[in-house]
Amino acid sequence: MAGAYSEAIQDLIDALGRLPGVGPKSAQRIAFHLLKVDVDEANRLARAIVRAKERVRFCSVCFNLGEHELCEICSDVKRDDHVICVVEEPRDVVAIERTHEFRGRYHVLQGAIDHLQGVGPDQLRIRELIARVTAGGITEVIICTNPNLEGEATALYLSKVLDVPGVTISRLSSGLPVGGDLEYADELTLGRALEGRRVITGD
Amino acid sequence: MLIRRLWLRDFRSYGELDLSFTDGTCVILGPNGVGKSNLLEAIGYAAQLDSFRSAPIDAMIRRGADSAVVRAQLDRNGREALVEAEINRSGRNRVLLNRQRLARTSDLTDVVLVTAFAPTDLELIKGGPGLRRSLIDGLVVSMDSRNEPVKAGFERSLRQRNALLKQVRGRLDTSASATLDVWDHQLADSGERLSVLRQGLIDDLTPLVTKAYRDIAGYEAEVVLHYASSWRERGLKESLVASREDDLRRGVTLVGPHRDDVTISLGDMPARTHASQGEQRTLALALRVAGHRLLAGIHGSSPILLLDDVFSELDDNRAEALLASLPDGQRILTTATEPPSTVHTNQLLMVAEGTITERTL
Repeated sequence: MAGAYSEAIQDLIDALGRLPGVGPKSAQRIAFHLLKVDVDEANRLARAIVRAKERVRFCSVCFNLGEHELCEICSDVKRDDHVICVVEEPRDVVAIERTHEFRGRYHVLQGAIDHLQGVGPDQLRIRELIARVTAGGITEVIICTNPNLEGEATALYLSKVLDVPGVTISRLSSGLPVGGDLEYADELTLGRALEGRRVITGD
Repeated sequence: MLIRRLWLRDFRSYGELDLSFTDGTCVILGPNGVGKSNLLEAIGYAAQLDSFRSAPIDAMIRRGADSAVVRAQLDRNGREALVEAEINRSGRNRVLLNRQRLARTSDLTDVVLVTAFAPTDLELIKGGPGLRRSLIDGLVVSMDSRNEPVKAGFERSLRQRNALLKQVRGRLDTSASATLDVWDHQLADSGERLSVLRQGLIDDLTPLVTKAYRDIAGYEAEVVLHYASSWRERGLKESLVASREDDLRRGVTLVGPHRDDVTISLGDMPARTHASQGEQRTLALALRVAGHRLLAGIHGSSPILLLDDVFSELDDNRAEALLASLPDGQRILTTATEPPSTVHTNQLLMVAEGTITERTL
C-alpha cells in the first residue's frame, strides 16, 4: 500500500490510523472524506482538536478531564464528600454519571495495572488516591475497575493499600444486564451473578 | 461432526480453492511437498484457530499475500455452521461464525472439534512436557468450552507476573511487592483450578489410553498417566511465596502449572526412556485415539479426524487396527502412497502441484 498516495495524503492516513479503533481501511475512508468536504468543515475539525488539546486538562484532585483546575464534579459543592468512586478512565465517569445513582466524588486512575503494557501501580494515580483517603473525611471507596483480569488485579491491589481504619472498601458487583433474558446471559456472567446473589428474605 | 466444504484464499500454497467433502473416509493422495497437509491444516485452523503443526501464523499466508482466508462449511448433527477466518500478516485476525463476529474462541468448540494425528506425534512420548501439557489442556477445553476462561486467565496472569518480575530486575520496593502479592493471588486461584481440571481429565483418559493401546497393539499392557506437579501438595500460593526469591533473581515464574508434566508409563516403566520405538509410536496413537473417544463420548458426536501422513510409519496390521479402533465419523487423511488396502475410501482426492482433482471410485 505504501507509495500509492502522495506524501500529504499518506501522512494523513497514517495519523488517522494511529487512532484507537481505526483500522487502515477506515483511516483511508476518513482521509478521503476530509479531502472531499469543503475547507471550512475540515478546519472546524482541526480547530476543535487544537482547542480541546489547549483547554482540556486533568483535574488536580480526581484526574478526570475538565477545563479548569478542578473538574465539574470536584467543584460541585452539592456532592457527597464521604464517598469516592475509583474508575480506570474518564469515560467510566461518564458511564457512572449516566446512572444518576451516584452522588459522591470520583478518582480516575488513568488505567489499570498491566505489566504487559508497562503499567504498574506507580504509573497510575494510586499515590494520589491514597493521599485523598488518608487525609480523612472519607467513609467509603467504591472500586469500579473493569471486571477483567487487569481490573480485578487493580481492585485487589487497591484493597491492600487502602487499608485505612473507618473506610469501607467495596467493589462493583458483576451481574446480569437489566431488561435482558436469563437464557441469553453468557455462563461466565451468570456464574458471577449467582456468586454475588442477594438475600431477599431469611438470614 | 462434518466439514462439507472448504474455501481457501492465499492459504499456504493455495491461491484459490473450493473443495467439497463427503462423509466417511476421504483420502488425499499425492507426492510429498504438493500441499496435502496444508488442507488438513486449514480444516484444523477453522476449528481451533491455530495450526496443529504449531506453525507460526504468518507461515500460513501465501508468500507475497497480505492475508489468507479460510472458510469452512460445517455440520454438527444436522446443524450447519459457517466459519470464516481471515489471517492477517499485520493487524488482528478476524473470525466470523455464521456471519457474526466470534465473541470467544471457545464458542467455536461448541460448533466443531477436530482430532489431528500428525507425524510428529511421537514427540508426545519422547519430547518435553510442553507437548503433553498442550494435549491435556486442549482436551480440557474441547471437553467443555466453559473451561477456556480458566486456562486463558491462568496464562494471562502468568504473563503479567513474568512481565512484573522482569521489570523489577530483582529489586522489590513496597509497591512492587504488593503488586506481586496480587498476581500471586490471581495466579494461584486460576492455577489451582486449572490443575483440578487437568487431574480430572487425566483420570478420565487413563483407562481409555490403556484400552486404545490394547486395540492398536493387539495385546494387553497397562498404561498409566500420572500428573506430575511439584507444587500441588504444598499449594500454589505457598509455593509461589517460597519460590519468590529465585523468581526475582531469574526474572521468571519458576513454579506452577506451566511447569507440570504428565508422565506416561507402560507396564511400570517410564515410556519416554524405556519403551521401544514401536511401543512409543503405538502409545502416541493410543493417546490421540483415547482423546478422540473421550470427546466423541462427551459430545455424542465424533470430532472430525485429521490423519496427516500417519500410515507411512505403521505396518499394515497396526494401520488396520488403528482405523478399526476409531469411532465412526468423518476421517480425512493424507498419504503419499496408496493407503492400506483395508481402508474403505469414500472419496479420493489427487493432489498435484497446485491442483486437486477428484477421482471417481
